[in-house]
Amino acid sequence: MSPDTAYTSDSLSENLIASVTDLKVYFQSKQGMVHSVDGVSFDIVDGEMMGLVGETGCGKSVTARSFMQLIQTPPGVLAGGKILFKSQKNCNKCNGSRCVACSKTGKNILDLLSLSESQIRELRGERIAMIFQDPGKALNPGLTIRTQLAEVFQEHRENDVFKKAGITNNLDGINGYLLKKYIRQELNLITKLMLKFPPFSGFRKKVDKAIDGLVTEALAETQIPNPNKIMERYPHELSGGMKQRVMIAQAIACNPDLLIADEPTTALDVTVQARVLDLIKDLQKRHQTSVLYISHDLSLVRRICDRVAVMYAGKIVETGDAEIIFNNPKHPYTQGLIKALPSMTHERGKLEAIEGMVPELINPKSGCRFASRCKQKKSNCENNDPELKVLSNKDKSHKVSCFLYE
Amino acid sequence: MQIRDYIIRRLLVLPVLIIGTSIIVFALTRIGGSPIGIYLSHEMNPAEVQEMKERFHLDKPVPVQYFYWIKGVTQGDLGWSGVASAPVVDVFPKKFAATMELAIAAGIVAVSLGIALGTFAGARRNKLADHIIRVVSVSGASMPLFWFAILLLIIFWVWLGWFPIGRSDPNLFEAIPHPTGFYTIDALLAGNFAAFRDAVWHLIMPAVALGYGATAIIARMMRSSLIEELQEDYVDAAKAKGLAERVVLKKHARRNALIPTVTVIGLTFGFLLQGTVVAEIIFRWPGLGRWMASAVLRGDQATIMTYVMFTSILFLIVNLVVDIIYANLDRRVVLGE
Repeated sequence: MSPDTAYTSDSLSENLIASVTDLKVYFQSKQGMVHSVDGVSFDIVDGEMMGLVGETGCGKSVTARSFMQLIQTPPGVLAGGKILFKSQKNCNKCNGSRCVACSKTGKNILDLLSLSESQIRELRGERIAMIFQDPGKALNPGLTIRTQLAEVFQEHRENDVFKKAGITNNLDGINGYLLKKYIRQELNLITKLMLKFPPFSGFRKKVDKAIDGLVTEALAETQIPNPNKIMERYPHELSGGMKQRVMIAQAIACNPDLLIADEPTTALDVTVQARVLDLIKDLQKRHQTSVLYISHDLSLVRRICDRVAVMYAGKIVETGDAEIIFNNPKHPYTQGLIKALPSMTHERGKLEAIEGMVPELINPKSGCRFASRCKQKKSNCENNDPELKVLSNKDKSHKVSCFLYE
Repeated sequence: MQIRDYIIRRLLVLPVLIIGTSIIVFALTRIGGSPIGIYLSHEMNPAEVQEMKERFHLDKPVPVQYFYWIKGVTQGDLGWSGVASAPVVDVFPKKFAATMELAIAAGIVAVSLGIALGTFAGARRNKLADHIIRVVSVSGASMPLFWFAILLLIIFWVWLGWFPIGRSDPNLFEAIPHPTGFYTIDALLAGNFAAFRDAVWHLIMPAVALGYGATAIIARMMRSSLIEELQEDYVDAAKAKGLAERVVLKKHARRNALIPTVTVIGLTFGFLLQGTVVAEIIFRWPGLGRWMASAVLRGDQATIMTYVMFTSILFLIVNLVVDIIYANLDRRVVLGE
């Protein structure tokens, strides 16, 4: 694989780590094409927490999964757009031999959607990591926590493992061949058997011990008590909060540039939610990781995110600084969402709901997607698509997609 | 509970189950009437008939007859086979080993091929390979064994002459001892490679014929459960770690897809034993098949009881093994509850 083919000539402004431009992801169904994500654009500022808010089915998760090429095609169709990504850190994997994940190449801007399978694999878990919604489903029920966490190190930290095991000088010949196969999970029956007997078994045990150490460290990072014991457990033996901590440990194990958190607290108890949230925030600050935080819970996003993008029916309707969006929402949908939130400062009384239903996303007509539910609808809303535009020259980051402001 | 403790506990319960099975087997066979007919001939006068009844304890009440049977079994006397005109214990072990060898070989074919084909098809859902495997497995599940066996016989024995029928080349096997009765194992123990090759060669065609139906069932089960597992979140999570497609499939998805498949594998073992009767008759395999068929038709109860007892015990053991494998795969199973 030539490393240069992966890079694009597109540029990304200095402070951004990733930028989504006009992303379109459709799904084939019997009724027609479902436009799940239909022209989404937003930026993620380096070292910041970006919130992506929207109701169920609006395309948040599809957007997130597109970052890692985790959309199954078919039925998924990548209909257009770009996700530019800038790798920030020097990579531990290639030792400067210019791999895709590495900023040493100088030209380090990648279009995530056009990478090949092997190229995106270099980034997955190494530069971009993901936390899933339901930790009970995202961990394999048949494997121990150790086995699952170890895979991250085996895949991306081969050299570290050998260094930690103190066997970097013993990697010549058949010994190195076997141990590398062992770490890369490429063993067959014969090589597996060979590693069970001396002289190879001794080295294998050292490698296992080194991996144990790395796994323990990763688990300790997420404040799991007794990581040594926890790692021998199976997922069903742990509580929901514990499992999510394991998922987080797995995601940040390689200290990624970008962490995608897809509703990480939705499946958890309210009391556990707060602690997991604090943990993510704390880790983000300590490691200067950029986070794309996906949620349907506005109050939660307000609490932890620096900037927010509001999504509705496959499009971004408003994006900008979190405080500005919450205090001074411009788009009627955002306004509706915020009115539907209970607040300590407002009078007691009924909360306002947004009337109507989310429109069908199968072969949608042109026109503002929110028009059917909008109280401030104008004559041109039904037939024309509003564009996401900067509201005023004072704050260039605040963008709204609505004809009210044109 | 530890798996080791569980196995010990199950093994301790095994004798109780075997005694229970023996009562059921005896009762069910005796419902068919007194077995005296098989021991009589037309020339016997009433006094001789009475003498035969007394000799086989058939003049006693049925529960007492059961104890006579059990007493005989524990002393290595399985009764007299009217069909074989010999004590059951003289004929049974050899033929039983032959049948077992065939059934186990067919089981190996079915399990390895079924899992491999199912995994291959499931990972390539709706692609050409999947469609081909679907045709293969639908025909396997729907073709009657006797028809498929005859088809193989015609093609590979009559036309092509690639595979022999029968069990072995007698010239090769008369020379070596038979400690296990499994010709393949006997040949290996004797270190006679030519004999081993001959035994395997004879085994292939009947094993494939017998295993094909079970292969089809296992492959279809494996395919559908693998497709289900591949939709799970943990598969995406595994990919998100940067793992290769191969590792995601083999280490993550296939492992969990095996859980429902293992249950099916346990069930198909009965299917295989049942099929041996047909396969043995068609391929001239010297197993229990033909003997058993005529024993059932002529009411040779000593033979029937021995056969049912042994297959029941085998079933108990196979079930124990399946449970252990199941618990190993699915860690959420609490053993012994």
